[in-house]
Amino acid sequence: MYVLGVETSCDETSVSVVKDGSEVLSNVVLSQIDIHREFGGVVPEIASREHVKGITYVFDKAINDAKIKYEDLDLIAVTKGPGLIGSLLIGVNAAKVISLNYNIPIIGVHHIAGHIYANYIDNGMDFPLLALVVSGGHTELILMKEHYDFQKLGETQDDAVGEAYDKVARVLGLSYPGGPIVDKLANLGKDTLKFPRPMIDSKDFNFSFSGLKSHVINVHHNMLQRKEEINVEDFCASFQEAVTDVLVNKTIQAKEKFNVKQIIVAGGVAANSGLRKKMKEMITDIPVYFPKMAYCTDNAAMIAAAGYFQYKKQNQADDLLLNGKSRLDLEG
Amino acid sequence: MKKSLKQLVIDTATKNIFLSLVIDGVEKQFVYEEGINNHSVTIMPYLEQVLKEENLTLKELDEIIIGIGPGSYTGVRIGVTVAKMISYLNNINIYTISSLALMASYSNKPFVLALIDARRGNAFMGLYKNVSGKLKIIEDDSLANIENYKSQIKVDFEIVESGKPDVSKVLKSDLLTKIDEIHSLTPNYLRDTEAERNLKK
Ligand SMILES: [Zn+2]
Repeated sequence: MYVLGVETSCDETSVSVVKDGSEVLSNVVLSQIDIHREFGGVVPEIASREHVKGITYVFDKAINDAKIKYEDLDLIAVTKGPGLIGSLLIGVNAAKVISLNYNIPIIGVHHIAGHIYANYIDNGMDFPLLALVVSGGHTELILMKEHYDFQKLGETQDDAVGEAYDKVARVLGLSYPGGPIVDKLANLGKDTLKFPRPMIDSKDFNFSFSGLKSHVINVHHNMLQRKEEINVEDFCASFQEAVTDVLVNKTIQAKEKFNVKQIIVAGGVAANSGLRKKMKEMITDIPVYFPKMAYCTDNAAMIAAAGYFQYKKQNQADDLLLNGKSRLDLEG
Repeated sequence: MKKSLKQLVIDTATKNIFLSLVIDGVEKQFVYEEGINNHSVTIMPYLEQVLKEENLTLKELDEIIIGIGPGSYTGVRIGVTVAKMISYLNNINIYTISSLALMASYSNKPFVLALIDARRGNAFMGLYKNVSGKLKIIEDDSLANIENYKSQIKVDFEIVESGKPDVSKVLKSDLLTKIDEIHSLTPNYLRDTEAERNLKK
Protein backbone atom coordinates (compact mmCIF):
# COMPACT_ATOMS: atom_id res chain seq x y z
CA MET A 1 0.00 0.00 0.00
CA TYR A 2 1.46 3.35 -1.10
CA VAL A 3 0.73 6.22 1.28
CA LEU A 4 1.38 9.88 0.55
CA GLY A 5 2.21 11.72 3.77
CA VAL A 6 1.72 15.47 4.13
CA GLU A 7 2.96 17.53 7.09
CA THR A 8 2.69 21.32 7.50
CA SER A 9 1.84 21.72 11.20
CA CYS A 10 4.68 24.07 12.07
CA ASP A 11 7.66 25.33 10.09
CA GLU A 12 8.54 22.41 7.81
CA THR A 13 6.72 21.77 4.55
CA SER A 14 7.06 18.03 4.04
CA VAL A 15 5.69 15.40 1.67
CA SER A 16 6.66 11.73 1.61
CA VAL A 17 5.76 8.47 -0.07
CA VAL A 18 5.91 5.41 2.20
CA LYS A 19 5.09 1.84 1.25
CA ASP A 20 3.35 -0.36 3.84
CA GLY A 21 4.16 1.91 6.76
CA SER A 22 7.92 1.46 6.72
CA GLU A 23 9.54 1.58 3.29
CA VAL A 24 10.30 5.26 2.72
CA LEU A 25 10.41 5.94 -1.02
CA SER A 26 10.82 9.67 -0.58
CA ASN A 27 10.77 12.20 2.25
CA VAL A 28 11.12 15.82 1.17
CA VAL A 29 11.39 18.43 3.91
CA LEU A 30 11.49 22.11 3.10
CA SER A 31 12.68 23.65 6.34
CA GLN A 32 12.05 27.27 7.26
CA ILE A 33 14.41 27.25 10.20
CA ASP A 34 16.82 29.79 8.67
CA ILE A 35 13.94 32.20 8.08
CA HIS A 36 12.59 32.00 11.63
CA ARG A 37 16.00 32.10 13.31
CA GLU A 38 16.30 35.88 12.99
CA PHE A 39 13.01 36.25 14.88
CA GLY A 40 14.17 33.96 17.70
CA GLY A 41 11.32 31.51 17.13
CA VAL A 42 8.64 30.43 14.70
CA VAL A 43 6.47 33.34 13.47
CA PRO A 44 3.10 31.75 12.55
CA GLU A 45 2.18 34.18 9.74
CA ILE A 46 5.58 33.79 8.10
CA ALA A 47 5.32 30.00 8.45
CA SER A 48 1.95 30.01 6.64
CA ARG A 49 3.32 32.21 3.85
CA GLU A 50 6.29 29.90 3.34
CA HIS A 51 4.04 26.82 3.20
CA VAL A 52 1.95 28.27 0.35
CA LYS A 53 5.08 29.32 -1.47
CA GLY A 54 6.70 25.89 -1.30
CA ILE A 55 3.75 23.54 -1.40
CA THR A 56 3.59 22.38 -5.04
CA TYR A 57 7.36 22.19 -5.33
CA VAL A 58 7.57 19.86 -2.33
CA PHE A 59 4.79 17.60 -3.68
CA ASP A 60 6.47 17.44 -7.06
CA LYS A 61 9.86 16.54 -5.63
CA ALA A 62 8.41 13.87 -3.32
CA ILE A 63 6.57 12.20 -6.20
CA ASN A 64 9.58 12.37 -8.50
CA ASP A 65 12.00 11.12 -5.84
CA ALA A 66 9.70 8.16 -5.16
CA LYS A 67 9.49 7.41 -8.91
CA ILE A 68 5.76 6.98 -8.61
CA LYS A 69 2.65 8.53 -10.17
CA TYR A 70 -0.19 10.10 -8.20
CA GLU A 71 -2.52 7.52 -9.77
CA ASP A 72 -0.57 4.74 -8.02
CA LEU A 73 -1.16 6.08 -4.50
CA ASP A 74 -3.61 4.21 -2.26
CA LEU A 75 -4.01 6.68 0.58
CA ILE A 76 -3.27 10.29 1.51
CA ALA A 77 -2.36 10.89 5.16
CA VAL A 78 -2.19 14.52 6.25
CA THR A 79 -1.47 16.08 9.64
CA LYS A 80 -4.73 17.61 10.87
CA GLY A 81 -3.38 18.83 14.22
CA PRO A 82 -2.27 19.86 16.69
CA GLY A 83 -0.17 22.73 15.38
CA LEU A 84 -0.29 26.23 13.94
CA ILE A 85 -3.72 26.53 12.39
CA GLY A 86 -2.71 28.68 9.40
CA SER A 87 0.04 26.22 8.56
CA LEU A 88 -2.10 23.11 9.02
CA LEU A 89 -4.73 24.43 6.59
CA ILE A 90 -2.23 24.57 3.72
CA GLY A 91 -1.35 20.89 3.96
CA VAL A 92 -4.93 19.81 4.60
CA ASN A 93 -6.32 21.67 1.59
CA ALA A 94 -3.51 20.64 -0.74
CA ALA A 95 -4.09 17.03 0.30
CA LYS A 96 -7.83 17.35 -0.29
CA VAL A 97 -7.19 18.55 -3.86
CA ILE A 98 -5.17 15.40 -4.56
CA SER A 99 -7.88 13.28 -3.00
CA LEU A 100 -10.56 14.79 -5.26
CA ASN A 101 -8.35 14.96 -8.33
CA TYR A 102 -7.41 11.27 -8.27
CA ASN A 103 -10.23 9.89 -6.14
CA ILE A 104 -7.83 8.65 -3.46
CA PRO A 105 -9.03 8.22 0.16
CA ILE A 106 -7.72 10.78 2.64
CA ILE A 107 -7.26 10.61 6.41
CA GLY A 108 -6.29 13.26 8.95
CA VAL A 109 -3.49 12.14 11.26
CA HIS A 110 -2.56 13.36 14.75
CA HIS A 111 0.89 14.94 14.68
CA ILE A 112 2.04 13.10 17.81
CA ALA A 113 0.89 9.74 16.41
CA GLY A 114 3.23 10.61 13.55
CA HIS A 115 6.16 11.25 15.89
CA ILE A 116 5.51 7.92 17.63
CA TYR A 117 5.28 6.02 14.33
CA ALA A 118 8.56 7.57 13.17
CA ASN A 119 9.98 4.70 15.21
CA TYR A 120 8.13 2.06 13.26
CA ILE A 121 10.02 2.95 10.09
CA ASP A 122 13.36 1.53 11.25
CA ASN A 123 12.60 -0.35 14.43
CA GLY A 124 9.14 -1.87 14.20
CA MET A 125 6.89 -2.11 17.26
CA ASP A 126 6.51 -4.76 19.95
CA PHE A 127 3.49 -4.35 22.25
CA PRO A 128 2.84 -3.30 24.89
CA LEU A 129 5.24 -0.43 24.44
CA LEU A 130 5.92 2.84 26.14
CA ALA A 131 6.42 6.03 24.13
CA LEU A 132 8.11 9.09 25.58
CA VAL A 133 7.14 12.04 23.39
CA VAL A 134 9.41 15.04 23.86
CA SER A 135 9.40 18.13 21.66
CA GLY A 136 8.95 21.88 21.65
CA GLY A 137 5.24 21.41 22.18
CA HIS A 138 4.92 18.09 23.98
CA THR A 139 6.18 16.10 26.92
CA GLU A 140 4.13 12.99 27.51
CA LEU A 141 4.31 9.30 28.33
CA ILE A 142 2.01 7.11 26.27
CA LEU A 143 1.22 3.42 26.62
CA MET A 144 0.36 1.45 23.48
CA LYS A 145 -1.15 -2.03 23.87
CA GLU A 146 -1.58 -2.52 20.15
CA HIS A 147 -1.29 -0.56 16.90
CA TYR A 148 -2.98 2.81 16.96
CA ASP A 149 -4.09 2.51 20.57
CA PHE A 150 -2.82 5.41 22.68
CA GLN A 151 -3.25 5.73 26.43
CA LYS A 152 -1.77 8.87 27.92
CA LEU A 153 -0.13 8.04 31.26
CA GLY A 154 1.01 11.55 32.03
CA GLU A 155 2.12 14.84 30.53
CA THR A 156 3.71 18.16 31.35
CA GLN A 157 1.66 20.41 33.58
CA ASP A 158 3.24 23.52 32.07
CA ASP A 159 6.18 23.94 29.64
CA ALA A 160 7.24 21.28 27.18
CA VAL A 161 10.84 20.11 27.41
CA GLY A 162 11.86 21.69 24.11
CA GLU A 163 10.31 24.97 25.19
CA ALA A 164 12.40 24.98 28.38
CA TYR A 165 15.51 24.30 26.29
CA ASP A 166 14.74 27.24 23.98
CA LYS A 167 14.19 29.63 26.89
CA VAL A 168 17.35 28.59 28.71
CA ALA A 169 19.28 28.95 25.45
CA ARG A 170 17.90 32.46 25.01
CA VAL A 171 18.99 33.49 28.52
CA LEU A 172 22.47 32.19 27.76
CA GLY A 173 22.52 34.24 24.56
CA LEU A 174 22.57 31.17 22.31
CA SER A 175 20.76 31.18 18.98
CA TYR A 176 17.45 29.56 18.01
CA PRO A 177 16.57 26.70 18.13
CA GLY A 178 18.25 26.26 21.50
CA GLY A 179 17.97 22.50 22.02
CA PRO A 180 20.77 21.28 19.76
CA ILE A 181 23.17 24.02 20.92
CA VAL A 182 22.54 23.44 24.63
CA ASP A 183 23.00 19.72 23.99
CA LYS A 184 26.31 20.27 22.23
CA LEU A 185 27.66 22.56 24.97
CA ALA A 186 26.37 20.23 27.70
CA ASN A 187 28.58 17.49 26.33
CA LEU A 188 31.61 19.68 27.06
CA GLY A 189 30.63 20.52 30.64
CA LYS A 190 29.87 19.00 34.04
CA ASP A 191 26.83 19.09 36.31
CA THR A 192 28.30 21.56 38.79
CA LEU A 193 25.15 23.50 39.66
CA LYS A 194 22.88 20.65 40.77
CA PHE A 195 19.58 22.12 39.64
CA PRO A 196 16.37 20.60 41.09
CA ARG A 197 14.74 17.57 39.43
CA PRO A 198 11.08 18.67 39.41
CA MET A 199 8.43 16.02 40.21
CA ILE A 200 10.98 13.24 40.05
CA ASP A 201 9.44 11.57 43.11
CA SER A 202 5.79 12.30 42.37
CA LYS A 203 3.87 9.08 42.15
CA ASP A 204 2.26 9.95 38.82
CA PHE A 205 3.68 10.22 35.32
CA ASN A 206 3.32 13.96 34.95
CA PHE A 207 6.10 16.45 34.36
CA SER A 208 6.76 20.11 35.11
CA PHE A 209 9.53 22.18 33.59
CA SER A 210 8.46 25.75 34.12
CA GLY A 211 9.74 25.84 37.73
CA LEU A 212 13.09 24.42 36.65
CA LYS A 213 13.27 26.92 33.82
CA SER A 214 12.59 29.86 36.19
CA HIS A 215 15.09 28.52 38.70
CA VAL A 216 17.78 28.22 36.03
CA ILE A 217 17.07 31.75 34.79
CA ASN A 218 17.25 33.09 38.37
CA VAL A 219 20.55 31.37 39.07
CA HIS A 220 21.93 32.84 35.86
CA HIS A 221 20.67 36.31 36.80
CA ASN A 222 22.17 36.10 40.31
CA MET A 223 25.51 34.91 39.00
CA LEU A 224 25.59 37.88 36.63
CA GLN A 225 24.73 40.27 39.46
CA ARG A 226 27.50 38.87 41.63
CA LYS A 227 29.78 39.13 38.59
CA GLU A 228 30.59 35.45 38.92
CA GLU A 229 32.11 33.84 35.91
CA ILE A 230 29.54 31.68 34.11
CA ASN A 231 30.87 28.53 32.56
CA VAL A 232 28.33 28.05 29.75
CA GLU A 233 29.30 24.42 29.20
CA ASP A 234 28.75 23.55 32.87
CA PHE A 235 25.56 25.58 32.93
CA CYS A 236 24.17 23.64 29.96
CA ALA A 237 25.37 20.32 31.38
CA SER A 238 23.69 21.05 34.72
CA PHE A 239 20.39 21.91 33.02
CA GLN A 240 20.53 18.91 30.70
CA GLU A 241 21.36 16.51 33.54
CA ALA A 242 18.37 17.73 35.55
CA VAL A 243 15.99 17.42 32.61
CA THR A 244 17.17 14.02 31.44
CA ASP A 245 17.20 12.63 35.00
CA VAL A 246 13.50 13.42 35.27
CA LEU A 247 12.63 12.04 31.81
CA VAL A 248 14.55 8.81 32.28
CA ASN A 249 13.37 8.27 35.83
CA LYS A 250 9.70 8.65 34.93
CA THR A 251 10.13 6.40 31.94
CA ILE A 252 11.63 3.68 34.15
CA GLN A 253 8.76 3.99 36.64
CA ALA A 254 6.21 3.58 33.85
CA LYS A 255 8.15 0.71 32.30
CA GLU A 256 8.04 -1.19 35.57
CA LYS A 257 4.40 -0.50 36.30
CA PHE A 258 3.13 -1.55 32.87
CA ASN A 259 5.63 -4.29 32.05
CA VAL A 260 6.30 -3.05 28.54
CA LYS A 261 8.42 -4.89 25.97
CA GLN A 262 9.85 -1.83 24.26
CA ILE A 263 10.47 1.85 24.83
CA ILE A 264 10.43 4.38 22.05
CA VAL A 265 11.40 8.02 22.28
CA ALA A 266 9.76 10.41 19.82
CA GLY A 267 9.76 14.09 18.89
CA GLY A 268 12.43 16.70 18.29
CA VAL A 269 14.07 16.25 21.70
CA ALA A 270 14.60 12.55 20.82
CA ALA A 271 17.60 13.92 18.91
CA ASN A 272 19.18 15.04 22.21
CA SER A 273 22.42 13.14 22.72
CA GLY A 274 22.30 13.37 26.52
CA LEU A 275 18.84 11.82 26.59
CA ARG A 276 19.88 9.07 24.18
CA LYS A 277 22.92 8.20 26.24
CA LYS A 278 21.17 8.17 29.60
CA MET A 279 18.19 6.14 28.35
CA LYS A 280 20.47 3.46 26.92
CA GLU A 281 22.63 3.40 30.05
CA MET A 282 19.78 3.20 32.51
CA ILE A 283 17.48 0.84 30.63
CA THR A 284 19.18 -2.36 29.59
CA ASP A 285 16.55 -5.06 30.07
CA ILE A 286 14.33 -4.08 27.11
CA PRO A 287 15.11 -2.29 23.84
CA VAL A 288 15.03 1.50 23.80
CA TYR A 289 14.58 2.92 20.31
CA PHE A 290 15.07 6.39 18.92
CA PRO A 291 14.11 7.40 15.39
CA LYS A 292 17.02 8.26 13.17
CA MET A 293 17.80 11.97 13.13
CA ALA A 294 15.87 12.72 9.94
CA TYR A 295 12.68 11.38 11.55
CA CYS A 296 13.07 13.15 14.90
CA THR A 297 12.14 16.56 13.55
CA ASP A 298 8.86 17.13 11.72
CA ASN A 299 8.59 15.11 8.52
CA ALA A 300 5.88 13.57 6.37
CA ALA A 301 7.28 10.02 6.36
CA MET A 302 6.16 9.61 9.96
CA ILE A 303 2.68 10.89 9.05
CA ALA A 304 2.45 8.38 6.19
CA ALA A 305 3.57 5.57 8.52
CA ALA A 306 1.00 6.53 11.16
CA GLY A 307 -1.69 7.03 8.51
CA TYR A 308 -1.13 3.52 7.21
CA PHE A 309 -1.88 1.99 10.61
CA GLN A 310 -4.70 4.41 11.38
CA TYR A 311 -6.41 3.44 8.12
CA LYS A 312 -5.93 -0.27 8.81
CA LYS A 313 -7.35 0.12 12.30
CA GLN A 314 -10.30 2.39 11.50
CA ASN A 315 -11.01 0.93 8.10
CA GLN A 316 -12.52 4.26 7.17
CA ALA A 317 -11.34 7.42 5.47
CA ASP A 318 -12.21 11.05 6.10
CA ASP A 319 -14.01 13.15 3.50
CA LEU A 320 -13.53 16.55 1.91
CA LEU A 321 -14.86 18.25 5.05
CA LEU A 322 -11.60 17.35 6.79
CA ASN A 323 -10.18 20.38 8.57
CA GLY A 324 -7.11 21.36 10.54
CA LYS A 325 -7.31 21.77 14.32
CA SER A 326 -4.81 23.69 16.43
CA ARG A 327 -5.67 21.55 19.48
CA LEU A 328 -6.41 17.88 19.18
CA ASP A 329 -6.52 14.98 21.60
CA LEU A 330 -4.45 11.92 20.73
CA GLU A 331 -6.65 9.46 22.60
CA GLY A 332 -9.94 10.77 21.15
CA MET B 1 -17.51 17.37 -31.24
CA LYS B 2 -15.90 20.74 -30.63
CA LYS B 3 -13.87 20.86 -27.46
CA SER B 4 -15.20 23.42 -25.03
CA LEU B 5 -13.16 25.71 -22.76
CA LYS B 6 -13.76 24.94 -19.10
CA GLN B 7 -12.60 27.61 -16.66
CA LEU B 8 -12.74 27.61 -12.88
CA VAL B 9 -12.69 30.89 -10.94
CA ILE B 10 -11.82 30.83 -7.23
CA ASP B 11 -11.73 33.60 -4.66
CA THR B 12 -11.45 33.18 -0.88
CA ALA B 13 -9.70 36.42 0.05
CA THR B 14 -12.62 37.78 2.07
CA LYS B 15 -15.12 36.24 4.47
CA ASN B 16 -17.09 35.33 1.36
CA ILE B 17 -16.31 32.32 -0.80
CA PHE B 18 -16.70 32.41 -4.56
CA LEU B 19 -16.39 29.53 -7.01
CA SER B 20 -17.50 29.75 -10.60
CA LEU B 21 -17.45 27.20 -13.39
CA VAL B 22 -17.45 28.82 -16.81
CA ILE B 23 -17.88 26.82 -20.00
CA ASP B 24 -17.19 28.59 -23.28
CA GLY B 25 -17.57 31.95 -21.61
CA VAL B 26 -20.89 31.14 -19.91
CA GLU B 27 -21.12 30.78 -16.14
CA LYS B 28 -22.74 27.36 -15.74
CA GLN B 29 -22.39 26.88 -11.99
CA PHE B 30 -21.31 29.02 -9.09
CA VAL B 31 -21.15 29.18 -5.33
CA TYR B 32 -21.23 32.58 -3.68
CA GLU B 33 -21.69 32.55 0.05
CA GLU B 34 -21.30 35.57 2.30
CA GLY B 35 -19.95 35.80 5.78
CA ILE B 36 -19.42 32.15 6.73
CA ASN B 37 -15.60 32.37 6.59
CA ASN B 38 -15.04 28.64 6.86
CA HIS B 39 -13.26 28.27 3.54
CA SER B 40 -10.92 25.50 4.67
CA VAL B 41 -13.89 23.23 5.30
CA THR B 42 -16.20 24.30 2.50
CA ILE B 43 -14.05 24.94 -0.56
CA MET B 44 -13.43 21.35 -1.61
CA PRO B 45 -16.99 20.04 -1.02
CA TYR B 46 -18.34 23.06 -2.95
CA LEU B 47 -15.87 22.45 -5.74
CA GLU B 48 -16.89 18.79 -5.93
CA GLN B 49 -20.54 19.83 -6.06
CA VAL B 50 -20.03 22.44 -8.78
CA LEU B 51 -18.16 19.97 -10.97
CA LYS B 52 -20.66 17.19 -10.38
CA GLU B 53 -23.53 19.40 -11.57
CA GLU B 54 -21.81 19.65 -14.94
CA ASN B 55 -20.61 16.04 -14.96
CA LEU B 56 -17.02 17.18 -14.90
CA THR B 57 -13.92 16.22 -12.95
CA LEU B 58 -11.00 18.39 -11.85
CA LYS B 59 -8.85 16.77 -14.51
CA GLU B 60 -11.10 18.06 -17.26
CA LEU B 61 -10.61 21.72 -16.40
CA ASP B 62 -8.65 23.82 -18.90
CA GLU B 63 -7.88 26.97 -16.92
CA ILE B 64 -7.92 28.32 -13.39
CA ILE B 65 -8.48 31.96 -12.47
CA ILE B 66 -7.53 32.71 -8.90
CA GLY B 67 -8.23 35.73 -6.75
CA ILE B 68 -4.75 36.50 -5.50
CA GLY B 69 -5.66 38.99 -2.78
CA PRO B 70 -5.27 41.34 -1.12
CA GLY B 71 -7.56 40.49 1.76
CA SER B 72 -7.66 37.99 4.60
CA TYR B 73 -4.26 36.31 4.80
CA THR B 74 -5.60 32.95 5.94
CA GLY B 75 -8.51 33.12 3.52
CA VAL B 76 -6.53 33.97 0.41
CA ARG B 77 -4.00 31.25 1.16
CA ILE B 78 -6.68 28.57 1.03
CA GLY B 79 -7.86 29.55 -2.44
CA VAL B 80 -4.32 30.01 -3.73
CA THR B 81 -3.24 26.64 -2.32
CA VAL B 82 -6.17 24.88 -3.98
CA ALA B 83 -5.67 26.71 -7.30
CA LYS B 84 -1.94 26.03 -7.31
CA MET B 85 -2.50 22.34 -6.66
CA ILE B 86 -5.13 21.99 -9.41
CA SER B 87 -2.92 23.78 -11.93
CA TYR B 88 0.16 21.79 -10.92
CA LEU B 89 -1.51 18.35 -10.85
CA ASN B 90 -3.21 18.77 -14.21
CA ASN B 91 -0.64 21.00 -15.85
CA ILE B 92 -3.19 23.62 -16.84
CA ASN B 93 -2.90 27.37 -17.24
CA ILE B 94 -3.47 29.56 -14.25
CA TYR B 95 -4.28 33.26 -14.25
CA THR B 96 -4.31 35.57 -11.27
CA ILE B 97 -6.64 38.47 -10.71
CA SER B 98 -6.90 40.96 -7.87
CA SER B 99 -9.54 39.94 -5.35
CA LEU B 100 -10.53 43.61 -5.30
CA ALA B 101 -11.11 43.54 -9.06
CA LEU B 102 -13.41 40.53 -8.63
CA MET B 103 -15.27 42.45 -5.97
CA ALA B 104 -15.48 45.58 -8.11
CA SER B 105 -16.99 43.61 -11.00
CA TYR B 106 -20.22 43.34 -9.01
CA SER B 107 -21.02 47.00 -9.65
CA ASN B 108 -21.84 48.58 -13.01
CA LYS B 109 -21.40 52.15 -11.82
CA PRO B 110 -18.84 54.19 -13.77
CA PHE B 111 -16.42 54.34 -10.81
CA VAL B 112 -16.11 51.62 -8.19
CA LEU B 113 -14.05 51.54 -5.02
CA ALA B 114 -13.57 47.93 -3.92
CA LEU B 115 -12.77 47.82 -0.22
CA ILE B 116 -11.77 45.11 2.24
CA ASP B 117 -11.56 46.30 5.81
CA ALA B 118 -8.13 45.93 7.43
CA ARG B 119 -9.02 47.47 10.82
CA ARG B 120 -7.89 50.67 12.56
CA GLY B 121 -9.41 52.82 9.84
CA ASN B 122 -7.40 51.10 7.12
CA ALA B 123 -8.50 48.97 4.22
CA PHE B 124 -7.26 47.18 1.15
CA MET B 125 -8.65 49.31 -1.67
CA GLY B 126 -8.67 49.38 -5.43
CA LEU B 127 -10.29 51.96 -7.69
CA TYR B 128 -11.89 50.59 -10.87
CA LYS B 129 -14.06 51.92 -13.68
CA ASN B 130 -16.63 50.43 -16.02
CA VAL B 131 -16.13 51.56 -19.61
CA SER B 132 -18.73 50.24 -22.06
CA GLY B 133 -19.14 46.96 -20.18
CA LYS B 134 -15.46 46.49 -19.57
CA LEU B 135 -13.79 46.61 -16.15
CA LYS B 136 -10.60 48.65 -15.95
CA ILE B 137 -8.26 49.60 -13.15
CA ILE B 138 -7.62 53.24 -12.30
CA GLU B 139 -5.22 52.89 -9.42
CA ASP B 140 -3.31 49.84 -8.24
CA ASP B 141 -4.61 48.05 -5.16
CA SER B 142 -3.20 49.45 -1.96
CA LEU B 143 -3.46 49.34 1.80
CA ALA B 144 -4.31 52.80 3.08
CA ASN B 145 -6.32 54.90 5.48
CA ILE B 146 -9.89 54.81 4.20
CA GLU B 147 -10.71 58.50 4.66
CA ASN B 148 -7.44 59.73 3.17
CA TYR B 149 -7.85 57.47 0.17
CA LYS B 150 -11.44 58.48 -0.46
CA SER B 151 -10.70 62.19 -0.13
CA GLN B 152 -8.25 61.97 -3.00
CA ILE B 153 -10.78 60.51 -5.44
CA LYS B 154 -12.14 63.35 -7.59
CA VAL B 155 -15.09 61.50 -9.14
CA ASP B 156 -18.34 60.05 -7.86
CA PHE B 157 -17.84 56.42 -6.94
CA GLU B 158 -19.68 53.51 -5.43
CA ILE B 159 -18.08 51.55 -2.60
CA VAL B 160 -18.33 47.78 -2.97
CA GLU B 161 -17.50 45.56 0.00
CA SER B 162 -19.27 42.38 -1.10
CA GLY B 163 -21.45 41.00 -3.87
CA LYS B 164 -21.18 38.17 -6.33
CA PRO B 165 -18.48 38.86 -8.92
CA ASP B 166 -19.54 39.22 -12.53
CA VAL B 167 -17.28 36.64 -14.14
CA SER B 168 -18.10 37.38 -17.74
CA LYS B 169 -16.99 40.97 -17.17
CA VAL B 170 -13.85 39.78 -15.39
CA LEU B 171 -12.90 37.27 -18.09
CA LYS B 172 -13.30 39.92 -20.78
CA SER B 173 -11.09 42.38 -18.92
CA ASP B 174 -7.36 42.96 -19.20
CA LEU B 175 -6.95 42.36 -15.49
CA LEU B 176 -5.81 38.73 -15.68
CA THR B 177 -2.14 37.81 -15.38
CA LYS B 178 -0.90 34.50 -16.72
CA ILE B 179 1.47 32.65 -14.38
CA ASP B 180 4.18 30.72 -16.17
CA GLU B 181 5.94 29.15 -13.19
CA ILE B 182 3.33 27.59 -10.92
CA HIS B 183 5.68 26.77 -8.04
CA SER B 184 6.50 30.43 -7.46
CA LEU B 185 2.89 31.61 -7.16
CA THR B 186 2.07 33.29 -3.84
CA PRO B 187 -0.81 35.51 -2.68
CA ASN B 188 -0.56 39.28 -2.98
CA TYR B 189 -0.54 40.21 0.71
CA LEU B 190 0.32 43.87 0.05
CA ARG B 191 2.03 43.97 3.41
CA ASP B 192 4.97 42.33 5.19
CA THR B 193 4.17 40.43 8.36
CA GLU B 194 4.20 42.35 11.63
CA ALA B 195 7.34 40.47 12.70
CA GLU B 196 9.17 41.56 9.54
CA ARG B 197 8.03 45.15 9.93
CA ASN B 198 9.23 45.20 13.55
CA LEU B 199 12.58 43.78 12.51
CA LYS B 200 13.09 46.59 10.00
CA LYS B 201 12.39 49.29 12.60
ZN1 LIG C 1 6.53 17.76 15.81
